[in-house]
Amino acid sequence: MGLLAIGAGLAVLTGIGAGIGIGIATSKAAEAIARQPEAKGDINKALLLGCALAEATAIYGFVIALLIILLLK
Amino acid sequence: MGNLADRLMEELECRTSFTIPIFGGIPVPESCVMTWFIMAVLVIGSIIFTKRMKVVPTGFQCLVESFVLWMDNFFLEILGSKGKKYLPILETLLLYIGISNIIGLVGLRPPTKDLGVTATLAIFAILLIQFSGIREKGVKKWLHSFCEPMAFMLPINIMELVIKPLSLCMRLFGNVLGAFVIMELLKLVVPVGVPLVFSFYFDVFDGAIQAYVFVFLTSLFMSEAIEEAE
Repeated sequence: MGLLAIGAGLAVLTGIGAGIGIGIATSKAAEAIARQPEAKGDINKALLLGCALAEATAIYGFVIALLIILLLK
Repeated sequence: MGNLADRLMEELECRTSFTIPIFGGIPVPESCVMTWFIMAVLVIGSIIFTKRMKVVPTGFQCLVESFVLWMDNFFLEILGSKGKKYLPILETLLLYIGISNIIGLVGLRPPTKDLGVTATLAIFAILLIQFSGIREKGVKKWLHSFCEPMAFMLPINIMELVIKPLSLCMRLFGNVLGAFVIMELLKLVVPVGVPLVFSFYFDVFDGAIQAYVFVFLTSLFMSEAIEEAE
């Protein structure tokens, strides 16, 4: 059980990448809106799409961690 | 601690609400019953809201009209004028996923927490994408679109047929399940007050965003499928 917990914890580490990615994307979007406030709608849409795609890796990590705990128990 | 884990596991599994007593019993999962409930809410809601429509809208009609117009514009912007006939199906998808994600707010268990439901939605989405491609381009051009931009891209394009729905399905499932797990943990640790605040983020905000992302990606793939190659 201890090793399983460590494995699940390692799988959830994928969240680091998603966090950094979404952080960078949001900071750039804030810059872009500051520079060109009239393009806010388009920037928001692109940001949301990018965040959804970046977030997917974190979600995969979470699903894998859950599968490890549920199936290998 | 062990008690807490057990209770969490109990909340996580997809329960069977009742069994239809024919052919040796067909189990009906809870997510299915919740889906019927959401269908009933949507159908009754649309009957009530469209019953006495006026040319100059007042009250609720204003709200519903502006929401529908927002959805129309949103999808038309992505799909172009050709996408007009796919609007109802995409909007229904958005409403269904949105409501089923938000339903956790009233203490019910969201059907999108069940992997079967999200997998079905994703398979439906990829069928819709390919169908719209065939309908707009014709079979020959649709088949040819697998060899674009170059012939050696064929295996990658075929792989995409599996990867796109898998990623759609896992994204929705993972997000809803993650939010559900965190909410259940919170409810077990602090039963009063605190879950309310977090519920607004995890159920309302995250649920709405995920519904939006799901239909956004579906319509994006669709616009890719129906556009003509010049």
